[in-house]
Amino acid sequence: MTSVHSTEVWLLGTPICRGIAIGSPFLLAPRDEAVVESSIAEGDVEAEVARYRKAIEGALQELRALQSRLHKEQIFDGAAILDAHVQMLQDPLLTVHVEAQIRNLNKNSEFLLKQVITECQKKFQTLEDPFFQERFKDLQGLGRRIMGHLNACNSLCLNEIPAGSIVIADDLTACDSAEANGIYVSAFVTRSGGATSHAAIVAKAKGIPYVSSVDIDSICRDAKTALLPMSIIVDGRTGEIVINPKEETLQKYRTLHSQLQHHMQKLKETGKLQAETYDGYLINLSANVEMVSEVELIHQFGGGGVGLLRTESAFLSREDFPSEEEQFEMYRQFVVKMDGLPIAIRAFDLGGDKYLKNHPASYECNPFLGCRAIRFLLRNPKIFKSQLRAILRASAHGKVSVMFPLVSALSELIEAKYLLNEAKEELKAEGFPVAEEMLIGCMIEVPSAAVIADLLAKECDFLSIGTNDLVQYALAVDRSNHVLSALYAPTHPSVIRLIRLIVNEANHHGIPVTVCGEVAADPRFTPLLLGLGVHELSVTPRHIPIIKNAIRNTSIVLASKLADKALELSSAEEIEELLMKEYRRNVPEDCIYNC
Amino acid sequence: MKLIRKVRVKNVLGLHTRPATVIVKLLQNCKSEVTFACRREIINAKSILSILMLAAKQHSQITVTVDGEDAEEIMGKLAMAFDSRFGE
Repeated sequence: MTSVHSTEVWLLGTPICRGIAIGSPFLLAPRDEAVVESSIAEGDVEAEVARYRKAIEGALQELRALQSRLHKEQIFDGAAILDAHVQMLQDPLLTVHVEAQIRNLNKNSEFLLKQVITECQKKFQTLEDPFFQERFKDLQGLGRRIMGHLNACNSLCLNEIPAGSIVIADDLTACDSAEANGIYVSAFVTRSGGATSHAAIVAKAKGIPYVSSVDIDSICRDAKTALLPMSIIVDGRTGEIVINPKEETLQKYRTLHSQLQHHMQKLKETGKLQAETYDGYLINLSANVEMVSEVELIHQFGGGGVGLLRTESAFLSREDFPSEEEQFEMYRQFVVKMDGLPIAIRAFDLGGDKYLKNHPASYECNPFLGCRAIRFLLRNPKIFKSQLRAILRASAHGKVSVMFPLVSALSELIEAKYLLNEAKEELKAEGFPVAEEMLIGCMIEVPSAAVIADLLAKECDFLSIGTNDLVQYALAVDRSNHVLSALYAPTHPSVIRLIRLIVNEANHHGIPVTVCGEVAADPRFTPLLLGLGVHELSVTPRHIPIIKNAIRNTSIVLASKLADKALELSSAEEIEELLMKEYRRNVPEDCIYNC
Repeated sequence: MKLIRKVRVKNVLGLHTRPATVIVKLLQNCKSEVTFACRREIINAKSILSILMLAAKQHSQITVTVDGEDAEEIMGKLAMAFDSRFGE
């Protein structure tokens, strides 16, 4: 046999998370050590039960710490996924049942736990649906975690591996990627695992390059001596893995890697820069938020304010609407954290399929066309007034504006304004300080609202386009419908024309227009939106740097020309191609990242 | 009091992780025994693993049995949870 791994070998896997890593491989062996069955003396049974309980407690504490870390890192999806794991750890099958087995059979915890998991495995394997079958992986991971606590010496934390390691494994659980610290783990390479797996979601949120569907045996061909190659390169953009790279390959990737680092660093530094085009046209770049902890990012990235505060998220898991006092406290905290920057608070967008337990919507066969948002609020004036009062009280502490969701008729805006005014007068009579001139905004999410934008613009201080909903309603396409996913296209000519219509009417009446849907956070759309005349873009805080960069890399002159061209095209595909070309031309460095 | 009721799974992805988590959280402090019967299996609804192993797909019919002092309240909450697609 030739000297192991002297030739450069290229493998191809499925790219899951972009990025480039160069490092030494670390094989994450499955920790399924042989489990020894042993008998427990009658007098020691309770001690064994206590030992098992302690192991479960330990695992539970670890998961909760992980969840809390993910929350701090703003990876909310990841934290929610771990929620299910926390519930599994408290499942009677893993707790009450195992303890009963210990007492009944006088056997050790490891053996009995393994039995329970093996039984579950058999059950999971009989399920036809691969999606449900996948859930066994979560249980397996949990089993390993508990075992780790039962045999303290067997557990291996991903933070105990050499820094800069590229972790190679058969598969990953969400806990593995959640634990991974970017310093120790520079990339993941696995044999199996899909882009929508929980592990992938967490890895993507952390920005750790990840390639799956790789023949990992080829990486460690000499399994007997477990000799791993000295270095490998992982290209998360293309899915390529290079084993034992030649010097020139190494050089090429080192250059790419440093270009990427440089680009990411530049993006981070845009915090101090203005969101203006290179010919000096200033845009308001603000953020869509739900939690007070997100405000810090706005200051860090140099955002101009909050363009959308979703008020319902904080209360969705509750049984009933929060009191005026509770709401005031939450809004006040936001306003104070904003430190003088403006904040637009949107009234509850609830009802239909999003509701609170004590206020279930009566059955609607079409919740998206049902009693939601402003329609729900106007039919529940007590709830609406209570929120308006809380917002008005918060307005005394900073630059607050209020927005009404899903307005589809002028009468709704008028009625809402009337209630707002009533609330203001009441508060003043009660001696509460309120801002004299709180700005009022109208969300444009429904085509009818777009078409009567002129009538609405006369009655409010700004318009905010919620493109996510507007595109669905305008194109009559359910975004979650896989069969029709190609039809859902924000680049559809009708959407571009609607935005142009809304901006024109707003300009006539001298009021600004914000775009707060997903397209605002897509740098390919930035010049188009600017060229159409949009004055403010509101995006999730972590997208502020990339959009600011896109703004700074275009001129309002070019942007307007782009918009004019787009308005002449007749299909979503043509418009998308136009935007992509312009994007590659304006911001070529972004493309190293996006390939 | 023992209550028995048939419900349908409306969620597109069936009773997957999210709905299962909602159910066990809902039943956390429940004082009654709760079981789900689907096809020919009967499981303890307070066990998230059991719910997942049931792999109930969209449109499956589930017979919910709640037996205990807070049966009415729990059955009401469960029925509503199923009906509202568990908030999805």
